[in-house]
Amino acid sequence: MQRRTFLGGLAAPWPAFDGPVIDAHNHLNHRARTSWKEDDRKLIDAADKLGIGKLCCSILPPERPLSLEGFRQSNVYMFEAMQRFPDRVLGYCVVNPGYGREALDEIRRCVEERGFIGVKLYNDYRADEPLVRPVVELAIELKIPVLHHAGHTSWLPAPQPRISDASHLAALAARYPEAMLICAHICGGGDWEWSIKALRNSPSVYLDTSGSVPDEGVVEAAARILGASRLLFACDLSMTVSMGRLRGAALPESDKRLIYGANMQRLLDRRKRA
Amino acid sequence: MIDINAYLGHFAFRQLRHNTPGGLLRLMDRAGIERAAVSSASAITYRNAQAGNEELAADTKGRGRLIPFAVLNPAYAGWRDDLQICQEEFGMKGLRLYPRWHGYKLTDPASLELIHAAAGRGMLITIPVRVEDRRQQSWLVDVADVPHDEIAAVVKAAPAARFAILQGVGFAGSVLGRPNNGLPGNYSIEISLLTALIANEIGQLIAALGPDRILFGTGAPFHYPESAVLKLDVLDAPAPVKDRIRRGNAARLLGL
Repeated sequence: MQRRTFLGGLAAPWPAFDGPVIDAHNHLNHRARTSWKEDDRKLIDAADKLGIGKLCCSILPPERPLSLEGFRQSNVYMFEAMQRFPDRVLGYCVVNPGYGREALDEIRRCVEERGFIGVKLYNDYRADEPLVRPVVELAIELKIPVLHHAGHTSWLPAPQPRISDASHLAALAARYPEAMLICAHICGGGDWEWSIKALRNSPSVYLDTSGSVPDEGVVEAAARILGASRLLFACDLSMTVSMGRLRGAALPESDKRLIYGANMQRLLDRRKRA
Repeated sequence: MIDINAYLGHFAFRQLRHNTPGGLLRLMDRAGIERAAVSSASAITYRNAQAGNEELAADTKGRGRLIPFAVLNPAYAGWRDDLQICQEEFGMKGLRLYPRWHGYKLTDPASLELIHAAAGRGMLITIPVRVEDRRQQSWLVDVADVPHDEIAAVVKAAPAARFAILQGVGFAGSVLGRPNNGLPGNYSIEISLLTALIANEIGQLIAALGPDRILFGTGAPFHYPESAVLKLDVLDAPAPVKDRIRRGNAARLLGL
C-alpha cells in the first residue's frame, strides 16, 4: 500500500518520495514461540491496516548473550520469512560481535548470499567497545546500515548491563563517520530528550522513531535538533503508537515524507547502487 | 469523542506543550475530540495538590469542553475541605488519585474515606496507573506503577464508587482484565497505552469486561492524542462498540 493511498484526503501529493512507507525497525518471531507463524501474520496484518509497505525486521534469539548457534539459526528463520513475505519483509542480520570472524562471516553470508539489508546489534557489547569496530567496518564495505539497540535511563534495567546509549553511538560515529548507524527506538529507550541531544553533533547517526511511549513532542524535537533527514519511521512492534506519533507530529509534509520512507530508502539504495 | 484522560499545567520533569486551555483545545480540535476530563499536571508533584486544583478551576472556568477533575491527596492536611471546595465551588466531576506519587496506598483508611466521600458526591474516581514510563523517569524519582492487585482491592472495598483506570498496561494478564474475576463491575479501563493490533489488548478487554467498560482517553498533552484515536480507527470491532468507547461510556459516567 502506498502512503498516498493510506492518508487519502489528508495527504498532499508526494513529489519527493512516492515509495512505500518503510518501517525501519521491527521484529518477526523466533520459533521458540509456539505461535510464531500466527504472530508473524498478525504483524503483516497490522502493517496492512496502517499502510506500512515494507518492514525491516530481525529475529532475536531468546537467549542472552546471543550465542553463535542462536544468531545463525535466527538469521535462517529471518531468511525464510523473507521468502514467505517477498518484497514486504526486509532482513537485518543479527550477530554478537564477540564471535569475531564468525560473526563477520555470518554478516557477509546474509548480505551477499541471502539479500539481507543490514545488521542488527543488541546489547552484547556497547557500541563504543573495540569488538564492535570490525562489524562496522564490514558494514561500511557492504554499504549497509547498522541498527543498534539503545536506551538511556536513570534506572538501568538490570538485565541489560551493556546497553548502549546515544553517546556510545556518537562515539562510534566519530570513529567511522562513513558508517550508516541507526540509534534504535527513541520512544522505547528512556530519556528521549537526552538521547536526541547526545546525537546533535553526529550527523551520520540516524534515529528511529519507534517505541511504546506516546510522548507528545518527541518527533518535533528530534526534527528540530537533528533534522528530519536523520529520522526513520519505525514501530518495533508498537504499531499504533508509532504511527500515531508521526501522524500527530506538527511537521511540514515534506519532512514527514522523508521520515515515512524516503530517508530509509536512501540508505537501502546505497547498497543497490554499489 | 470524549477524552477521559487529559491534563493542564506543568509537569515537574518534562516540558509539556499544549498545556494551556487554548493549547489543549487546539490539540483536541486537531484530533477530533469534543470534550475532555482534565486535571492539574502540576498537582502531581505539588506538595499541596489543592493549589493545582485552584489553577485548574481558573483555567477551565467558562470552558465547557474541559471537564475539571480534582487531584487530592488523602495523606495531606485539609483534604476534606479541599474535596468540598472542588466539588461544590469548582464543580469538579471527578477525582484523580496518585497513590505512589503522594505516598499512600489506595486501601489505606484515609484513601478509602476520600473515595467514599467523593463517590457520595457523585464523582468519578480515576486512577492513573503511571504518569511516565519508568524507563524515562528522572534520577530524582523512582515511582512504580500502581499495582493492579491494589486497584482490585480498592474497587472491591468501595463497590458503590465508580472507577476509571487510566494509563495502564497489562490488564489482559491481570485480575482486572479477567472475566468472572469476582470483582464488582464498578470500574472501567482507558485505552491510551493499550494495543489495538497484534496482541490487541483492547479487543481482549472488550471480550472479558464488555464494551461498556472501555473508555477512550489520550493522556494529552503528555501524549500525542492521535495515537489513541488511531487505536480505535483500526480496532476490529463493530461501529456501535467503537461509538460507545469513543463517547457513550464516558458520557454515561460523567452524566453528560
